[in-house]
Amino acid sequence: MPDVQALVNEFLNKLKKRKIEGSQATAKQTAELLRSVISQQRVPRTNQAGALIDAVRAIGEQLIVANPIELAVGNIVRRVLHIIREEDLSLTTAAVAELNLSTVSDDDDDGGGGDQDDRPVLSAAAVAAAARNTLRPPSLQMLLEGAPDFVAVPRSSSSGGDSEGKSKSMDRNSRTRKLKHDIIEAVNELIQDITTCHELIAEQAVEHIHQNEVILTLGSSKTVLEFLCAAKEKKRSFRVFVAEGAPRYQGHLLAKELVARGLQTTLITDSAVFAMISRVNMVIVGSHAVMANGGVIAPVGMNMVALAAQKHAVPFVVLAGSHKLCPLYPHNPEVLLNELRSPSELLDFGEFSDCLDFGSGDGSPLLHVVNPTFDYVPPKAVSLFITDTGGHNPSYMYRLIADYYSADDLVVQRRHAAGN
Amino acid sequence: MKEQTTRAMWWRSPSFILDNRQQAQPYDTARGGALSIPPPPSTAMADPNPNPNPLTDKISAYYQTRAAHHGVVSSDWLAQAQAAVGHIPDVDDDAANSDQGAPPGEPFSVIDEFNNWRKQPDLAEAVAAIRALAAVIRNSQATTMMELEIELKKASDSLKSWDTTSISLTAGCDLFMRYVTRTSALEYEDFNSAKTRLIERAEKFGEISYKARKIIAMLSQDFIFDGCTILVHGFSRVVLEVLKMAAQNKKLFRVFCTEGRPDRTGLRLSNELAKLDVPVKLLIDSAVAYSMDEVDMVFVGADGVVESGGIINMMGTYQIALVAHSMNKPVYVAAESYKFARLYPLDQKDLGPALRPIEFGVPIPLKVEVETSARDYTPPQYLTLLFTDLGVLTPSVVSDELIQLYL
Repeated sequence: MPDVQALVNEFLNKLKKRKIEGSQATAKQTAELLRSVISQQRVPRTNQAGALIDAVRAIGEQLIVANPIELAVGNIVRRVLHIIREEDLSLTTAAVAELNLSTVSDDDDDGGGGDQDDRPVLSAAAVAAAARNTLRPPSLQMLLEGAPDFVAVPRSSSSGGDSEGKSKSMDRNSRTRKLKHDIIEAVNELIQDITTCHELIAEQAVEHIHQNEVILTLGSSKTVLEFLCAAKEKKRSFRVFVAEGAPRYQGHLLAKELVARGLQTTLITDSAVFAMISRVNMVIVGSHAVMANGGVIAPVGMNMVALAAQKHAVPFVVLAGSHKLCPLYPHNPEVLLNELRSPSELLDFGEFSDCLDFGSGDGSPLLHVVNPTFDYVPPKAVSLFITDTGGHNPSYMYRLIADYYSADDLVVQRRHAAGN
Repeated sequence: MKEQTTRAMWWRSPSFILDNRQQAQPYDTARGGALSIPPPPSTAMADPNPNPNPLTDKISAYYQTRAAHHGVVSSDWLAQAQAAVGHIPDVDDDAANSDQGAPPGEPFSVIDEFNNWRKQPDLAEAVAAIRALAAVIRNSQATTMMELEIELKKASDSLKSWDTTSISLTAGCDLFMRYVTRTSALEYEDFNSAKTRLIERAEKFGEISYKARKIIAMLSQDFIFDGCTILVHGFSRVVLEVLKMAAQNKKLFRVFCTEGRPDRTGLRLSNELAKLDVPVKLLIDSAVAYSMDEVDMVFVGADGVVESGGIINMMGTYQIALVAHSMNKPVYVAAESYKFARLYPLDQKDLGPALRPIEFGVPIPLKVEVETSARDYTPPQYLTLLFTDLGVLTPSVVSDELIQLYL
């Protein structure tokens, strides 16, 4: 336990000081950290999944608070929680299926005797089916299934197994080990997915980029780089306009890399996007995060490019790995999901020191320098999302979210906050 | 017959759904309504400004004389009308029209039960229907699942025919019937335990209604920020709950209420909001575009949510959504999930007619037709988000949810 805490503290420090750059690196490190937490967590005999979920939640809460703008952290925490629930459920279903034959007679006896506590006695299949439904976001069907199933089962999916399996004390030990083992395997798969998301996305490049096209991009994104190079390898000849992406000018780096790989590149300023957009066939950009309504959090300047593309009916394609998919809906994203970076990226303190003088007048300088990091692109501006699972409409995002996340994990806070 | 042909001239698109419904309902509510209004009070001319809070002396003389010409409603007539308006329009209207559902042969009448439940002001119509159907199950003499289903179907049909225009009633009955057919006897060897379980769940459904409003209110709290201006149309108990909770959370916001002619929903809503100390401003329905640039978001309830993700709501909602969309203001809908209906209207006339009489305060000549429809359909592209007890949804998710339910 102590070394896990040390790891956690170290990671928290890095997050707070913004030492980790990029959502992929953050996601990977978060997943690795949670993997260590899970493997080191001691679980009780009963309700292992619940204990693991609580542990991950506690740590996850701290991580999210350390850097709320980096949505990848929250995404990975929620993915791991979903994995825990899923693995536990599949184990329960398997165990219950084995015991189904032996417990049928038990059910008959209990059914006649009336209900104990608030859980009516259902057959094993019904329990599993109801539990399976709880992993998906609440639907009308679940509302009709009634509150007891909805509440009782997710709190401890394994307790559903407990009420069925009366003679499982021997199996429990092996179940604990198996559960953890399965979860760790699944988290490893998750880490693998995060690392290889670029390749899966780049595989789809050939379908979207055609001969003699002109592609526009802004700033620098590794995913976009891989995407364009994959198309180049398949012998498509096309040109790229790169908008430099002030104030960090990462577009310069991207332009250099593209040239190194043999692509015809043109470098333009951000202000020239509207002027050049009519000559462009497609806009392909990366993203920082994708929200549940299909909106995109992207490096500053992207909204302008999206508007230009909309105005000239140019397809606006966003590349996003699955770790960028966030189950939250943005309200006021320009403010709440944005960060202001150091003004020194815009201005040199030395030159403007007289304007930024705090000593004059009423104590506040006349010159303010604002350097926001991100922009919010509304869903109607996006034509297509390309994720590692394929190309999707912005209105389809909720489906992917339902696959990757559980409804209970949307608010990663302790239970006391979620009083309905 | 003659009425039908003259009306046929004005219709753009003959929809077969409409023709079917047309045969069921006679069309004389409009004319009847216009003629049966009380004579305009003589004080109308003297007081052209019915606003209980008199404005400063900046009233334009030009508009003052024009108001006098049009014989505007006076404030005590207004108070009279307000007292008279205490119910949902289309249900009330059709109660007057349709043949009062003859109680079925057995002593237990589902319609009576339904009416008993409806009397509770906070209870939604669909939930009253579910409770009535639950009572049917309780009083049923059936011994097999099939018999029970048939009884329920009969009861559900009679409820639906009692008021063909209420979408949430139809949707609620359909959901319940769907649920009954889904919980087949496969899971239960014993019919009685199945019956008890059904009753249990039907009762739970009733509790869900009140909880649903709370859930929706909690989900929408984040979207109301300090200093925002909300435009509200129609009197929706869900939206009122949302605003109540925001006021309780000490958020600073103000509300613009549209007047909501002819039901005066805006007045009722502004009364309620004034009690919560929320700054309210009343707008006449035509002033929506004028005030839209001050507005940050539009909040409406829904009578029904249709498969396309659009909503059916009080007349005027479509207009407001169009204006909001053209000015890039978000339109948020607060609706419980049992309002999801299996309808797919392609245009306004695809909805069954729900007519209600409109009083203008002055007699209208017989030759003049009045558009008396009480509701309109807002297509999904003008809506931003729907707040339901299933979570926050974009309009495109609604059809997915419906498929999941009815699969």
